[in-house]
Amino acid sequence: MDATILGLLLLDGVQNGVVYGLLALAMVLVFAVTRVILVPIGELMMFAPLSFVWLQGGKLPGTLWLALALGALWALLERGRGRGLPLAGGAGLLLLFLLARGNPALAYLAALLLVVYLGVATYRVFFQPMREATVLALLIMAVGLHVAYQGLGLVFFGPEQYRPDPLLQGEATVGLTWQGVLVLAFALLSAAALYLFFRRSLFGKALLAAAENRLGARLCGIRPEEAGMVAFAIAGLMAALSGLLLAPLINAAYFMGFMLGLKAFVAAILGGLVSYPVAFLGAVLVGLFESFTSFYASAYKEALVFLLLVPALFYQSLRAKGVEE
Amino acid sequence: MKRWWAVLLVLALSAWAQGTLKVGVVVSATGPAASLGIPERNTFPLIQEMVDRQGGVAGRKVEFVILDDASDTTQAVRNTRRLVEEGAVAIVGTATTPASLGMIPVVAEAKVPMISLAAGKEIIHPVDAQRFWVFKTPQTEELMARAIVADMAARGVKTVGYIGFNDAYGEGWARFFEAELKAKGLQLVASERYNRTDTSVTGQALRIITRRPDAVLIGASGTPAVLPQRTLKERGYRGLIYQTHGVANPDFLRVGGRDVEGTLLPAGPILVAEQLPSTFPSKRVALDYIQRYEAKYGIGSYSTFGAHAWDAWLILKPALERALKRADPARDLAAFRAALRDELEATRGVVATQGVFTFTKEDHLGLRFEDAAVMVRVENGRWKLERVFR
Amino acid sequence: MRRYLWFSLLLLPFLLSPFPFYLTLLNFFAIAALVALSLYVLTGLGGMTSFAQAAFMGVSAYATALLTARASLSPWAGLALGLGLTVAFALVLGLLTVRLKGHFLPLSTIAWQVALYILAGNLVGLTGGHTGLTDLPPLSLFGLPLDTPFRYAFLGLFLLALGVLALKNLRESRLGRALLALRGDALTAASFGVDPAALRLKAFLLAGGIAGLAGFLYAHFLRFVNPTPFSLEASIKYLVMAVAGGVGTIPGVLLGAALFTGLEDWLKDLLPLLLGRQGNYETIAYGLVLAGILLFAPQGLWPLLAGRRPSGRKALPQGEPLPPRPPSGRRGEVVLEARGLRKAFGGLIAVNGVSLALRRGEILALIGPNGAGKSTTFNLLTGALPPDGGEVFLFGKEITGLPPHRIHPLGLGRTFQHPHVFPEMTVLENAALATYARTRAGFVRVLLGLHRKEEERALATAYEALRRVGLEGLALERADRLTAGQQRLLELARLLASGAEVLLLDEPGAGLRAGEKRELARLLLGLAREGYSVLIVDHDMDLIMGLADRVVVMNYGEKIAEGTPEEVQKNPLVRAAYLGEEAA
Repeated sequence: MDATILGLLLLDGVQNGVVYGLLALAMVLVFAVTRVILVPIGELMMFAPLSFVWLQGGKLPGTLWLALALGALWALLERGRGRGLPLAGGAGLLLLFLLARGNPALAYLAALLLVVYLGVATYRVFFQPMREATVLALLIMAVGLHVAYQGLGLVFFGPEQYRPDPLLQGEATVGLTWQGVLVLAFALLSAAALYLFFRRSLFGKALLAAAENRLGARLCGIRPEEAGMVAFAIAGLMAALSGLLLAPLINAAYFMGFMLGLKAFVAAILGGLVSYPVAFLGAVLVGLFESFTSFYASAYKEALVFLLLVPALFYQSLRAKGVEE
Repeated sequence: MKRWWAVLLVLALSAWAQGTLKVGVVVSATGPAASLGIPERNTFPLIQEMVDRQGGVAGRKVEFVILDDASDTTQAVRNTRRLVEEGAVAIVGTATTPASLGMIPVVAEAKVPMISLAAGKEIIHPVDAQRFWVFKTPQTEELMARAIVADMAARGVKTVGYIGFNDAYGEGWARFFEAELKAKGLQLVASERYNRTDTSVTGQALRIITRRPDAVLIGASGTPAVLPQRTLKERGYRGLIYQTHGVANPDFLRVGGRDVEGTLLPAGPILVAEQLPSTFPSKRVALDYIQRYEAKYGIGSYSTFGAHAWDAWLILKPALERALKRADPARDLAAFRAALRDELEATRGVVATQGVFTFTKEDHLGLRFEDAAVMVRVENGRWKLERVFR
Repeated sequence: MRRYLWFSLLLLPFLLSPFPFYLTLLNFFAIAALVALSLYVLTGLGGMTSFAQAAFMGVSAYATALLTARASLSPWAGLALGLGLTVAFALVLGLLTVRLKGHFLPLSTIAWQVALYILAGNLVGLTGGHTGLTDLPPLSLFGLPLDTPFRYAFLGLFLLALGVLALKNLRESRLGRALLALRGDALTAASFGVDPAALRLKAFLLAGGIAGLAGFLYAHFLRFVNPTPFSLEASIKYLVMAVAGGVGTIPGVLLGAALFTGLEDWLKDLLPLLLGRQGNYETIAYGLVLAGILLFAPQGLWPLLAGRRPSGRKALPQGEPLPPRPPSGRRGEVVLEARGLRKAFGGLIAVNGVSLALRRGEILALIGPNGAGKSTTFNLLTGALPPDGGEVFLFGKEITGLPPHRIHPLGLGRTFQHPHVFPEMTVLENAALATYARTRAGFVRVLLGLHRKEEERALATAYEALRRVGLEGLALERADRLTAGQQRLLELARLLASGAEVLLLDEPGAGLRAGEKRELARLLLGLAREGYSVLIVDHDMDLIMGLADRVVVMNYGEKIAEGTPEEVQKNPLVRAAYLGEEAA
């Protein structure tokens, strides 16, 4: 192996890694606030570029109707003034979609907001009613939603991939397109933004507090339901943006999200599902590991990536001294 | 409400419609093989329309019972058993090799003829006690690999790299392609795998490039076959790039765009039907199928996979007619199924969209290489006939 | 014998024989139900989850496929190898992961699942790769080939019925109770002698073995193996089945397996009629059905249908209790001693150099203001926490740093600040949990049902203990029906049933009404007279002062006074500590 190849592999690994990192951050955030392991994040991620492609072609994507249906359920679950948000959001979304047909800039925004709305509605309809349930039950719910959303993805968008045009054309250097630079920049930016949000802003701190202690959060004036919705909104936003930015590089299709989510998940576990920086580092590690194994032993790549968990879990298990209560 | 009445009506009708011939169909309309299975499923309404217009087969109505196996062996087997036990006279399907292999013990045990729509040579070779009941219409990987290697040899290629799906499709190609290369004295210098869901194949591409092959074959199907090709080009590979006939659908061209210009691939003649010389046997049949498919699903919508299903019917129909003269399915289903199998094996010179089928006791594929494979090049975003082997 | 009614499952093939396709479904049901049973052991009893059950199936399916199709050996050799390999795999994976808590275990099983799937697909020379292995021979029993769905169903259902019986035995045994307790609260289980890691590992092995059996059945039913039936998606499907039916009960997981096996084909017929031919709606319906069940029947469908009855036995025990273990030895002899105990959490020193001695037949009280380090001391004595310094002796034997499950069998029992009772079990079973360390039956004996005699004696012991505390009338009630006071008494009964003679009680009076407190005091005094030694932590000064022979007072992690209740009450340091607290 010469230096060029090493460089290209490193670059490839980092580029994949930051995407896993973004998803891992979203997963850690959602887990910390709601204890939900957000398996369907991959589907949310794919819904954004696919909806965008549909809008660009002048068609209304099926995801819109899904979002509106869930929004309607959300409104039914709320009482009084609480209904304003889902109803206004749904109406706005519909209007935006009607306007955005064939208009790329608006379509970009519409696809983004769709996924955010869908994320929040998903939380409100499926997860919030069972917020007292165990992590396991929530996990199974998440798996169920993944299965349903993936099936819907096939119905809405068909079995093949789509490739929206990149925002930026051309290569920055060998092995790195400008679009790739955009993804990297976005990843670092959003990691920094998350950091500032949680460390500097009052609301961010309150959200973290809600993750630590429900009662305490209530005393600080933040309702756990609200915290959950915000967490899902942030996760939806991150998933949608990374989906939209990535799609020109990886081609979007209904089945592409699950593996991305699963690997982000490996990264999140490397971070113990609690630490943001470690999760992000873990994600970059997963990306690099994947890049190198695909060079040396491509047939066994996936097996090796998942077995990366073993030492991490073993370490956790050694640390788990004493008897948990 | 209306639908429910329709359901009841259908149930009632099927109860006394004794004369109906039931053909069981298993397709992979969901899951990894969906891009193969969906055009297959879409073809059966066309067949149904045609049969209904012709007043059935020998005066009997034909009913196609279509079940989805989600690209999964267990479900394929379950569906097959169900179809067999619901009295299907024959089974058509399914798109993947492993699932088709799983169906073989079922049809052999129940003594029902089956026409597989999957590529694997293992499905019909060797014709043993179980495969006695099994035929298939798609070209084998072996046959298509022969076309590729013949083309490579003609272009003076000496060293070859391979990258394929990490599943049954990529594996089947790897096996037969390698054997064919060896037979023709070409050298395989790299053999890599990737997944349909991979977002990057940079590692594999670099690996292949370091070995400097004259040509690379990508053993993948549908749009996910674009990624390795694009990566190879982006990383500076300038040799020949071959794809398999698994990419022969319009979506591949749509997603691939400029990146797949110049791609060479073997294909059934139907892919470039209108460009075929008028002496090519399957030209007329292929054009007929394309016209019907596009009339129903839109211009440019057809793919070669649906044509395999069409071919299965072209073979099945005359065999049914002949078998009906020998046995009555309403009275003795087992005898009819056995007769149908014999008549399928007696198929001679049936011109179909992908070639001319002539089955024998030893050969349940029945396609001649020269009629069944052509080389195609992607030019200006269209399929262009490159080479025929006749 | 009601339990043998399960063998009536074997009548199903006859009933369904006019509907041939249902015979096929029946076979798939039996296979799925076995896998679901393995999840009952793991999740329902053990509180663990696995996303790798399909991989375990695959290990065994491939083992038998290789032996029979490649090496032409008997399928029964394949079964032996398959089960052996599955259990060996489960052992390796289990050793690595069963100590992990909560969500880490399911996550790590995803990794195994993916890795094994890829190995099966890529070790082409061995496994036939993604294409798979063909031409497996049919099974044959007593010379009769099981080559039709009708015949095969008998084998599948017979094994299923055996599995159900074995797991019913497990549920109604010391091991079943211990697993349920582990799921609810590992510390309580451990303080009655249950080794959490070892027991979880064994449950994991058992579940792996059952899944392996299902894999063997699968391989010889299809007579073809390839990787896809053993994928992550398949594992998820089995988990969905079990959870939807109700993973906490045996009928629940069977219901789930039956429902989903049937649902699949039913949806295939129904959905296209309702929604048109385009699109495939089964998976969507799957996901939504699961979501609906989780929202509206979180325990699964079966508990919803059957009501919330406890799943344990319905009759009072008739047998002889285990041999009684009255405390013996000289009164006044030191039974439990701590020397210079120290424990720090980060920078905070919770316990600093505390020494105390409990003598036989006395009631020693440990008191102090909130945050004085009483509970930490308690946890150091019982092994729930390892001390940073100092030593602990029980009956003169050093037990410093031993885990709770090794300390308990030496004769020490404890209760908890918040009563830890298990709502899935009856009051009687809750009490019988305590006999874990006094009984011996292992997994093999339990699964074969050879533990019944011992089980009867264990329950009789528990019943005796309940009678002693006055709860015998509620023995067959669900434990969560008890009032807070009754739960305290149940905890006490548990200690008595355990045969421990050194009893450590953490705030036994909390939440009791005045009358109940008097009753408690009477009971404790009686026990002390019999020679039990009691260490008690409580806030209720009236209770303590009327009860204790001696009192140890702690403040800020240190012992500040020791003596009779009267002496301590006069101690100025103690007064300052309590008054200071009250002033604040």
